[in-house]
Amino acid sequence: MVQADQLSRPKPRKRSPRPAGTALGWPATVIFLAPAVIIFAVFVLLPMITAFSYSFFDWQGTARGAFSGIENFFTLFTAEPFKSDLPRALMHNLLLFAGAMVFQNTVGLAIASFLYKRKRFKKLFQTLYTLPYLVSPLVIGYLWTLLLSPLFGPVNALLKAIGLGELAQPWLGQPSTALWVIVLVTAWQWLGFPILLYGAALGGIPEELTEAASLDGATAWQRFRSITLPLLTSAIGTVSILTFIGSMEALALPYAMGGSTGSPAGATDVLSLMFYRTAFESGASNAIGVSSALATMMFIFIFGVALAFTSIIRRRERKLS
Amino acid sequence: MKVRPRHLIAALALAMLPLTACAPGSSSPAADKAAGTNASGCTSPETLKVWSWRPEDVAAYKKIFTSYEEKNCVKVDFQAFKNTEYNQILSTGLTGSNGPDVVQARAYGALQPLIVGGNLTDITGKVEGLDGMDKTIVTGAQGKADGKTYGVPFATQTMQVFYNKKIFKDEGVEVPTSWDDFIKVNEKIQGSGMTPLAVGAKDAWMMPFIHDIFGSAEYGGKDFRDGVQTGKKTFTDAKYVSSIQNLKDLQGFMPKDVVGASYTDAQVLFTNEQAAMFPGGSFELGFFQKQNPELDLGVFQVPVRSTSASQQPVSAAYADGNWAINAKSPKQEASLKLLQWMASKEFGQHVVDDLKQFSPVAGVTFNDPVMKEIWDLYQKSPAPYTLLVDFRYGTPSGTDLMGSGVQELFLGSKDAAGVAQKVQDGVSQWFKPTS
Repeated sequence: MVQADQLSRPKPRKRSPRPAGTALGWPATVIFLAPAVIIFAVFVLLPMITAFSYSFFDWQGTARGAFSGIENFFTLFTAEPFKSDLPRALMHNLLLFAGAMVFQNTVGLAIASFLYKRKRFKKLFQTLYTLPYLVSPLVIGYLWTLLLSPLFGPVNALLKAIGLGELAQPWLGQPSTALWVIVLVTAWQWLGFPILLYGAALGGIPEELTEAASLDGATAWQRFRSITLPLLTSAIGTVSILTFIGSMEALALPYAMGGSTGSPAGATDVLSLMFYRTAFESGASNAIGVSSALATMMFIFIFGVALAFTSIIRRRERKLS
Repeated sequence: MKVRPRHLIAALALAMLPLTACAPGSSSPAADKAAGTNASGCTSPETLKVWSWRPEDVAAYKKIFTSYEEKNCVKVDFQAFKNTEYNQILSTGLTGSNGPDVVQARAYGALQPLIVGGNLTDITGKVEGLDGMDKTIVTGAQGKADGKTYGVPFATQTMQVFYNKKIFKDEGVEVPTSWDDFIKVNEKIQGSGMTPLAVGAKDAWMMPFIHDIFGSAEYGGKDFRDGVQTGKKTFTDAKYVSSIQNLKDLQGFMPKDVVGASYTDAQVLFTNEQAAMFPGGSFELGFFQKQNPELDLGVFQVPVRSTSASQQPVSAAYADGNWAINAKSPKQEASLKLLQWMASKEFGQHVVDDLKQFSPVAGVTFNDPVMKEIWDLYQKSPAPYTLLVDFRYGTPSGTDLMGSGVQELFLGSKDAAGVAQKVQDGVSQWFKPTS
């Protein structure tokens, strides 16, 4: 830190030799970027690379054994319980994604289009809808578990009180409803996010366009279909990609509502829970190897699909502009 | 905006702060300072870092270790971490330098990764107190592959039925002595509109517990376990199937929609006196007494049928965890001495009195009447909780298979034979009997 004094000493002003358009010189740029880059490298990049390398070894507890090639990946597809858990968990993740997409792009978009023109109560409603998104999914999950408990839960009690007793279900206790409850709660929790994003995107659409269209006699639906929707492409793309990543990595909510085994009987199992069980609960000596292989595959899948998504959206955007 | 370099450097330094704060290997200054003197007044005591997954017991452990410090020139620096994150913290601590000296480690299968990883010190033959402990419990501290001992078990958990004495009295029923009696007790209580058995099957981990509570004597407890170990029996044996069928037979006495009811729901039912019986582990006792001090508790072992494999009701049991030594610790001698004390009657009595846990050390006495009742039943006829004790050494584990299996049984998607088959198929992937 010798330079601190030299740097802080006032110097005679002279013309900057920097090229136009660059706000700061190299040293300053490096200093500004360093904290973020260091944190990213240490806490994101490094663990990712190590997990990737771990997946190619046979482990004895925390001691690394011999190089085993793709043996761990092979295990995931050939040995129980992975062989039957993997496709089921992946299917559940995809259903979570589908449910969230449908909900966000219909209900979310509808609420956003309804709200963005309001002057009064707009902020209030935006806040209300966004509130669950700001609460930890674990808290949300435990709350809903309590609400839906067949013994003490107010949901079934309410149904019975208004004479709809036959609709009362052990919501999280039967495979036919458990996953859908989680899909709905996930969608509900995330609803505030598309509302905010679509709200902002709708506000960015120039009013002249819709005005001109209505002067030409376009109906409200035609205006939405041909002007608003195409101009929302990039927002829809962003929401879709983030929803995809979110639902593929879903852990806290399924964990809070179905436990680490995806109760009942694996009906709410997802990939992250599988990873969690394999890595931390199995007690198998090669837990690190197999779970790293699973994590690597999850990353490649999520990254690959997100990349493909992005390129499709980019292409559509280019077509529009 | 013009940025002053001085500000830049200050900002950079600030940004680095959290990085240095969580850098591994930085020892807390408080711990080092404490090394000055210990409870006995010894001037330069050796500091032993002890790690645990029981933050709720910190005060009790501090008190316990003070009594050790009074007699030894050692300062115990006890640190507890969150239970659910402990495994991760422990394996990091054991691999790095400057880690703990003595650690609380899991038992049976969950202990194996640390043993095969060479993280723990072999203490075979070096701790006297281990000889007096139940063999099932000590097995929990041993390596599956090498048979060596790596830890001192710190608590035994036993499994039985808790019952509400007041409800039994009000309903005019007695502790059942035969399976038919047991069914009659359930029917009588159900007739009064109360839930007889507080069970929540939403939490799969609880299912192998209740299976062993209601079925261990049915399948023959230790004899069956030994039979499976030597390959003479399998989980598809008729008696094992009927032990699972016991649960199906009792489902009608559990809360309606039992797979939707959680473990906590079951605890609430029982402590609020809305249910008469709770099949559970001895670890429930402290919680029950705290939740409802008015609760008049008793325990019993589930009675047997005339056709059961064992004609003696049993309490299944397992070891909860072990005290072990970090193989990388430079203070091996002092650590071993502490472990030897942890296997002594003095420490065992502390575990009973201060932690309300069942110390496996022989000769400890129980002042709490319910604890005494639990321990006496267990001493009379113990059995190993075999799915945990023997079948957690591979994937899929016996307890996981039984957990989802019983849920399927309750949901009606599998029958008892189907569940037994599932357990057998699952464990036979990695389990080989020793002939």
